Amino acid sequence: MSLAFSRSEQFTLGVELELQILSTHDYNLMRGSRELLALLDKAGHPGDVKPEITESMIEISTSVHRRYGTLAAELAAIRDAVVRQARRLNLALAGGGAHPFQRWSEQRIFPRERFFQLHELYGYLAKQFTVFGQHIHIGVDGGDEAVLLTHLMARYIPHFIALSASSPFFQGVDTSFDSSRLNSISAFPLSGTMPFVRTWDEFNAYFDEMHDLGVVESMKDFYWDIRPKPEYGTIEIRVCDTPLTVERAAALAAYAQTLAAHLMTVRPQLPSQDIYRVYSFNRFSACRFGLEGGLIDAYARGRCSLKQDIAATLVEISPRAEELGTVRALNQIQAVLDSDANDATWLRDMFKATGSLMNTVRHAADLWAGTGALQRK
Amino acid sequence: MQEGSFLPSFPLAGAPLVLFGFAVLCALAVGHAVVRYVRLPRITGFVLAGLLLGPSALNVLDAGLLENLRIFVDVSLGLILFELGRRLDIAWFKRDRWLAASSVAESLLAFLLVLAVLRSLGIPAVYAATAAAIAMVTSPAVIMMVVSDERAQGPFTERLLTLTAANNVFAFLFVTVLIGFIHAEQARGWVNAVAHPPYLLFGSLALGYAAFRALHMLARWLPRQESVQFALVVGLAVVTVGAANGLKLSVLIALLALGVFVRNLDRERDILAVEFGPGAQIFFIVLFVLSGAGIEVKELAAGGLLGLAVLAARFAGKLVGIAAFGPLSGVGWRNSALLALAMSPISAVALVMMHGAADFYPEFGAALRSIVAAMVITLEIVGPLATQFALKRAGETLSLPG
Repeated sequence: MSLAFSRSEQFTLGVELELQILSTHDYNLMRGSRELLALLDKAGHPGDVKPEITESMIEISTSVHRRYGTLAAELAAIRDAVVRQARRLNLALAGGGAHPFQRWSEQRIFPRERFFQLHELYGYLAKQFTVFGQHIHIGVDGGDEAVLLTHLMARYIPHFIALSASSPFFQGVDTSFDSSRLNSISAFPLSGTMPFVRTWDEFNAYFDEMHDLGVVESMKDFYWDIRPKPEYGTIEIRVCDTPLTVERAAALAAYAQTLAAHLMTVRPQLPSQDIYRVYSFNRFSACRFGLEGGLIDAYARGRCSLKQDIAATLVEISPRAEELGTVRALNQIQAVLDSDANDATWLRDMFKATGSLMNTVRHAADLWAGTGALQRK
Repeated sequence: MQEGSFLPSFPLAGAPLVLFGFAVLCALAVGHAVVRYVRLPRITGFVLAGLLLGPSALNVLDAGLLENLRIFVDVSLGLILFELGRRLDIAWFKRDRWLAASSVAESLLAFLLVLAVLRSLGIPAVYAATAAAIAMVTSPAVIMMVVSDERAQGPFTERLLTLTAANNVFAFLFVTVLIGFIHAEQARGWVNAVAHPPYLLFGSLALGYAAFRALHMLARWLPRQESVQFALVVGLAVVTVGAANGLKLSVLIALLALGVFVRNLDRERDILAVEFGPGAQIFFIVLFVLSGAGIEVKELAAGGLLGLAVLAARFAGKLVGIAAFGPLSGVGWRNSALLALAMSPISAVALVMMHGAADFYPEFGAALRSIVAAMVITLEIVGPLATQFALKRAGETLSLPG
């Protein structure tokens, strides 16, 4: 059994966001995806909306875009449609990589065969998987290119972690991590990174072996940080926490698109196994310290601050930004660096200001809906 | 000092307390047995324990003792109504007019159908209307306890709580107005007829509002910990219950109003939503035991079939009211029917309301008592089961089938 890679137009873009469904009584997670999906089906909506493993999650996804501008517009339109229907049920929605005080044991598995199977297999891990991520798809025009881009992107994964981090609170406490969500994912046996294969054929050989050994049934079973997605003809970056706003989500996608275009057209680096030697450490540092984290650069054989590395990358890829129309988005990323504040900082500040996690979530829900009195500075 | 005066004398001074504590322990045991051996909701067990210990059976909790324990009922019900009031989000009604429509329809239809049945039985209009208003109510205590026992959550549960809060509000308004008519009926003077309803209603609302302001101020000042806020809420509720009793206002209206004010006026949510955890269970248990003890079996026999007819009318009203507007508000036929079913538990509030009316005019109580009592008793036993069934079928309980 070989996986065919459906080619797609290079550097096209798509985004998936997993969202929190909240009770407006206490701003805890609440089941409600089935009812919300039913209302959305009836009323119609742009993009795609799907259930996730537990009933207090919902996933929205965009269609395929060439340009950042249309992607951002579609994300905002989907957000508006979903928020409108949620309000009919008196539910609220919010971004954020983890709900600050939900109890995982209270979560309910969405009634669908695959989700029940996952629950059966993974036990409590499945319910602990009630965390919320952003997945960014970048189009590539072949399987070999997908493998290449996956390896080249690996060095930059900490950028995406630190820029999107929005899960500092978990199960009612400050974890001291900016992104605690990725720790939940690391518990799965098939998490981590793609093995160091060089071509799509080598990838297929690996996949066949895993399949024949009964380790996996499909690509879906690999919970890697970045993985080729042969059905879509894309690579999928899966490390981002769902940001607190769709605007931030769109900007992150644009950053990924511009970076991919730079890496594939300029080819400043070659794939290197060295990246994976320091990968876990870099990933940890970005999760733990966010933008204040350090980065060990396997190519330059040196250590730098993550913030400096992102700033330098923004400069390096700026010529591509002109071509792709992502200048505005990259300016947003630069603004995050300048303010020294990612979404995890926003949540911690809000907790300090309100003194309660419930009110922190309430403000995050207002921010997500675009109605917050306390908008970003 | 007399020889031997340090020894207790009979009857024991602490006996009422011992009996009361004993009743709570019995309730726990019967509740557990009912869940384990018959698979009924715990609440049914609590009520049965009360019934067994009450004047109708063993008479351990006799009428005098029950009267002494009335304060526990007031505090428990007060807290429960406060919590219920917090589920009434007026903004939701504004956003979804069909939800508002179904809420008004189910209350009004239940009222009208029950009124029609009682009138056809020859019950005088004012008494029939009072009983019909009492029949509008869904029991907040049963709904909240079943929701918490089944760990139900989701849009269905939210709607159930909201509609329950709303029909309690409507019933209080109706009953308060009707009190004026009862005064007139009994020819107790126009001052009573005209002045008593507004005194009760606006007095209780004002008390609820004052309590809200006090709660809000203290909540902002005290640390934002759930445990602190829980104690704050309980303390303030007790003060309000006492004040309402002292001022001869309605405990129930004041506490329900306090909850509604908290939900709708505390915009910055300084008052945290405190989960009624294990500590609060005692209030529910006390309430169910005492309402079980209040059941008089001979009235069930007397009111029997008529009670069932009233019960059917009430259910029909709720069903038609919800189903008429449910689909427009995004709730399908099936869930509309389940909502009506879930809302069948009738309230110990109903008994307290009737007590309230009976306190003024014993003859009024007697005229209706057995019919209402038969309905209440039936639903106290069957109601929790209906709610539990509906929540399970709606897929909102934690242990999903399959």
